[in-house]
Amino acid sequence: MSPEEQRSHAAEVEQTLREIGRADLVVGIPSYNNARTIGHVVRAVMAGLAKYFSDQAAVIVNSDGGSKDGTPEVVRQAALGDYRTVLATHPLRPIHRLTTPYHGVPGKGSALRLVFEIAVRLQARACAVVDADLRSITPEWMDLLLSPILREGFDFVAPLYRRHKYDGTITNSIVYPLTRALYGKRVRQPIGGDFGFSGRLAAHYLAQDVWHTDVARFGIDIWMTTTAITGGFRICQAFLGAKIHDAKDPGVDLSGMLMQVVGSVLDLMESNYPIWSKVQGSEPVPVFGLEYEVGLEPIRVNVARMLGIFRLGAEELGDLWQKILSPATFRAVQHIAGSPDADFRFPPDVWVSVIYDFALAFHRRVIHRDHLLQALVPLYLGRTASFVLETPESTADEVEAVIEELCLQFERQKPDLVARWEGQG
Amino acid sequence: MFEALRTVVVGTFQRFGERALAFLPNVLAMLILILAGWAIAAIIRSLLGRALRALRFDRWCEEMGITQVLRRAEIRHAPSHLLTRALFWLVLLVFLVVGLHSLEIALVNRALAAIFGYIPRILAAVLILLGGFLLANFLARAVLLAAVNAHLASARLLAGGVRVLIVAIALAMALEQLALAAHIVIAAFSIFFGGVTLALAIAFGLAGRDLARDVLRRQFAPQREEAPDELSHL
Repeated sequence: MSPEEQRSHAAEVEQTLREIGRADLVVGIPSYNNARTIGHVVRAVMAGLAKYFSDQAAVIVNSDGGSKDGTPEVVRQAALGDYRTVLATHPLRPIHRLTTPYHGVPGKGSALRLVFEIAVRLQARACAVVDADLRSITPEWMDLLLSPILREGFDFVAPLYRRHKYDGTITNSIVYPLTRALYGKRVRQPIGGDFGFSGRLAAHYLAQDVWHTDVARFGIDIWMTTTAITGGFRICQAFLGAKIHDAKDPGVDLSGMLMQVVGSVLDLMESNYPIWSKVQGSEPVPVFGLEYEVGLEPIRVNVARMLGIFRLGAEELGDLWQKILSPATFRAVQHIAGSPDADFRFPPDVWVSVIYDFALAFHRRVIHRDHLLQALVPLYLGRTASFVLETPESTADEVEAVIEELCLQFERQKPDLVARWEGQG
Repeated sequence: MFEALRTVVVGTFQRFGERALAFLPNVLAMLILILAGWAIAAIIRSLLGRALRALRFDRWCEEMGITQVLRRAEIRHAPSHLLTRALFWLVLLVFLVVGLHSLEIALVNRALAAIFGYIPRILAAVLILLGGFLLANFLARAVLLAAVNAHLASARLLAGGVRVLIVAIALAMALEQLALAAHIVIAAFSIFFGGVTLALAIAFGLAGRDLARDVLRRQFAPQREEAPDELSHL
């Protein structure tokens, strides 16, 4: 888009916002080349708003990262058609739709920043953001993400999904246990991607100066959750059912994702030390929505490749790991790498030590931070391979018990982390 | 006749004595300057040593890979020790040059002017080498990490190749900066890399046909045969 077109588009958006004036609800859909799925997402959001909030003024904001596949056109054309075929009642107020490109660092964070700006500008009472690649979104998601804010006074609604036991492994092995141990709140999907939040919290988000960091990219989800917790906002979870999304972008590699997400978690540890160092144990977070089992398609996992990368890392990155890990943890990791495939296990206590050692190395800037996070990839794959080998026949509940045990291990070893962070070890 | 000879000889000795007496203050000035330079250099060495210890300079060098490079070159001293020593000798050299200049000997002055003119080139060459080593280590580590995470068995070889390439370029630039037979350096550099590339091509294509086939098969065939992960990490 040329600068002239950008100016013209900005003026158009400004005109639309002036015409809308105020809105009760704002729903953001960040997108980038999601033409295949975004039509369904927009229709589900429209149906949800019409069904559950027919008396509220609502705006759907599609914040696009410059899609080349016609995503904005799909958003503009998406319609419910005859409302009577979808809904029992006709919406009382029209649902406005805005599709606009965002500016700044390319990524989901910059896209959501624009949603926050529009929410604050329209003085929205409640907002929700949903990913544009969702295949499993239903109109009920709007009720589940927005009602706790409008009717129960919560400020932040985190999603709760039924996922395949091997889906979301960064969440299960690092982000959830670490966030829970640090901040004491059991938010099961802290980087779920689909959230509800109050207008007050949107203004708080907007006031933070983080938009040139990894928060502007994949780091936005964990940043939103952590900021809501540390800001003292009322948080809850909403059970949304299954999370099924479009096939992942092959251009997005594991290293990049891990660097941005884990980098954001560790960055947040720096600024929130006065808060998390005082937290002990953890407490449950209220859940809205009826929890039920869903059928999930099996996932193909290449354990041999994961083990190969882990062992290659142990062989080639020994010097680097030695700088990051404590001597005992380094010895334990080398011992694990030497074990045969059949007996391969990465015990939870060693994994927690690895994560805490990396957090400390990040804090002390032992090596360049990008290199540090890249050095974690083989270890993460080793732990993931072990998790898969440990739970081949396990049910969802049994896997959840394994994750719960890992979380408790993170909480048990936290006092040692606090002591070492302060330079006592 | 004898009287005339005596006058000439005595006159010569007198003039020598006068000149020697006139020159003596210059020599004394030179000695004072060198002694003062030694004292100042020692003070600077001590202060810099303390500052580097406070800044944990040796640890930073360890992190940046400078210490490893020195160890490979069989230099066992700590980088802070080397830096303080280098600065000590540099300061002493400056005072030595100024001291020699005070002798006011035309030949010495010309030589000193040439040395002074060359010092910026030496400093530039040292900076280029230092920057080259830092960049080489940083990029080699980045390549090593990327290659391991991409499951490339030849990760260390790739990282080593990047390090050698950057150090060689830095070395060639430093030598060019020193104006040491620039044409020969460039020619040697070209011949070296041309030779390495040719040797690799011949080794890979002829002597290592089987190995090349295996490497290519390992590199490309598994990607077709192996089922990709369907794991969503986030």
